[in-house]
Amino acid sequence: MTSAYVLEQIINGIILGSMYALIAIGFSLIYGIVRLINFAHGDIVTIGAFAMLGSVVALNAPFWLSVIIVLIVGAGVGMLIERIAFRPMRGAPQVTGFIASLAVAIIIENLGIMTLTAQPRNFIVPAWLGTFIPLGPLQVRAIDLAIVIMAIVLMAALALFVRFTKVGMAMRATAENYNVARLMGINIDRMIMLAFAIGSALAAAAGLMWGSKYSQISPLMGLIPGLKAFVAAVIGGVGSISGAMLGGYVLGLAEVLFVGLLPPEYSGYRNVFVFTTLIVILLVMPNGLLGRSTEERA
Amino acid sequence: MLWLEDVHVRRGGTHALRGIDLEVQRGEIVALIGANGAGKTTTLLAISGLLRCQQGRIAFAPEAERLDIARMRAERIVAAGISHCPEGRQIFGNLSVSENLMVGAYLRGDRGGIERDLAAVHGLFPILATRAALPGNRLSGGEQMMLAIGRALMSRPKLLLLDEPSLGLAPQLVEQIFDILQRIRDEGTAVLLVEQNAAMALDLADRAYVLETGLIKLAGDGKALARNVDVQRAYLGVGP
Repeated sequence: MTSAYVLEQIINGIILGSMYALIAIGFSLIYGIVRLINFAHGDIVTIGAFAMLGSVVALNAPFWLSVIIVLIVGAGVGMLIERIAFRPMRGAPQVTGFIASLAVAIIIENLGIMTLTAQPRNFIVPAWLGTFIPLGPLQVRAIDLAIVIMAIVLMAALALFVRFTKVGMAMRATAENYNVARLMGINIDRMIMLAFAIGSALAAAAGLMWGSKYSQISPLMGLIPGLKAFVAAVIGGVGSISGAMLGGYVLGLAEVLFVGLLPPEYSGYRNVFVFTTLIVILLVMPNGLLGRSTEERA
Repeated sequence: MLWLEDVHVRRGGTHALRGIDLEVQRGEIVALIGANGAGKTTTLLAISGLLRCQQGRIAFAPEAERLDIARMRAERIVAAGISHCPEGRQIFGNLSVSENLMVGAYLRGDRGGIERDLAAVHGLFPILATRAALPGNRLSGGEQMMLAIGRALMSRPKLLLLDEPSLGLAPQLVEQIFDILQRIRDEGTAVLLVEQNAAMALDLADRAYVLETGLIKLAGDGKALARNVDVQRAYLGVGP
C-alpha cells in the first residue's frame, strides 16, 4: 500500500464526505428548527440531479447556470413540501411529521418512476469536468475538485449567513424557542420555510455532484445518500450545523478508508460498516460529536 | 392606550379568563396581582397574541388610532408597539448577550435609532455591556432578567408587558429592577406588570388589578389597594 494510494483514498473520502455533509446539513437545519426528521430529504438529492440533467438537455444551459438552476429548484421544492406536507401538521406530535415525510418520500420516488422510469440515465456534464488536474503527486479529476470547492463555498456561505446576518440570527432564535421568537416579531413560518429552502438547495447541489461523479442517475438514487447523510447528521449531533458538516466528512472518510484499506472481499460490507459506525457512536456519545444534551440546539 | 373588554380565554380544558376588563393608560405602571393560576400570565399572553381570546375585544392605541389586536398575529402586535418580556426570562441561551438585544430590535430598520436604544439599555444595565460577547446561558439569573428587560425594550415599545420580574431574584436585585421600571415609565413607556410580590408591585404601581380565578376582583389606585383589608389578608400576609 503506497502512500500515494492512501492519499488518493483520503481525497476520495473528502469528496464523498463533501456530498454527505451538504445533505446532512439539511437534516440538521430542519430538525433544529422544526424537530422533524425529514425522510424525504434524500429525494431532494434526486430532484437536484434531474434538474441538472434537465437544464443541460432542455435548456442547453452552461454549467454555472445549471448549478444556479439546481439550487433554485431544490429550494423551491423544499419550500413546497414544507407548505403542503408539514405546515398543516404544525403542533402535531413528532411522529406525525415523521410519517408525513415518509409519505412525501414515497410520492416523489413513485412519481419519478412513473414519469421518468426506473431505468438509470446517463448524466451529461461538460467535457472539461472529466479532465485530470495534477495535484502534487496525484491526478485529480476536475469534477472531484469542483465538488470539494463547491461544497466548501456553499458551507462557508451558510455558516456566514447563520452567524452574521440578522435573518440568520432570527433563525437561531427560532430554533431555540418558537414563542419567544414570535415575541421578538419574528415570523416563524417564514423561518421554517427558509430552513427547508436552504437545506433542500444544498441537498439538490449534492445531487448534481452525485450525478456528475457517478455519471448515472435514477429516481431512487437519493435513497442511500439520504440515509447515509442522516447517519452523518446523527454522528455530528443532529440539530447542529457544524456537527452535520463534521459528521459528513467523518463518515465519508471512514467509509472510503474502510473499503480502500481493507482486503477487497470486505468491500461488500460497506453499508454494514456505515450503520455499525452509527450505532457505536450513539452508544459512546448519545448526542453525537457536537450535539448538546439540552433541547436548545441551533 | 390598552383596553381589554370582556376577554375570555380557554386554555386546554380550563376557562382561564372568564371575561376580564382592564385598561392601561399612557405613562402609567399598572400591576396585575393574584394567586397562582388566577390568570395573570394568560392575560399577558392574550395581549401579545401568543394565546387567542375566544371572546371579547382587545384594543391598542399607540397613537390616536385604535387598533383591534385581538386577532392580530404576534409579530404584528410587536410591530404595533407592545413588547412582552415573558415569565422565566426565556433569553436565547445560545445567542450572545448582544445578539439577544439585537434580536429584540428584529423588526426595526433604523440603524441610528437601534444604536441609541442599545446605548440606553446599556445605560440602564451597565453589566450587559461588559457581558456583550457571552452566550446568554452563561449569565446569572439577575443578569438574565436584565437582559430580558433590555431585549424587550429594544423594539422601542409603547407598552411593556412584564411577567414576574422578581421571580427567583435576591431582594436587592428586585429593588434595583423596580427602580428601573420607574425610569422606563418616566421615559414614556407604559408598563403592565404581573407580580407575585404584591407588596412591592402595589407600592410601585399607579394603578392595580386583583385577579382571582379568571375574573377581576378589585381595581384601583395601587396605594389604596395596598390598604384594602381583603388584599392585605390575601396577598400581603397582613392581619388575622
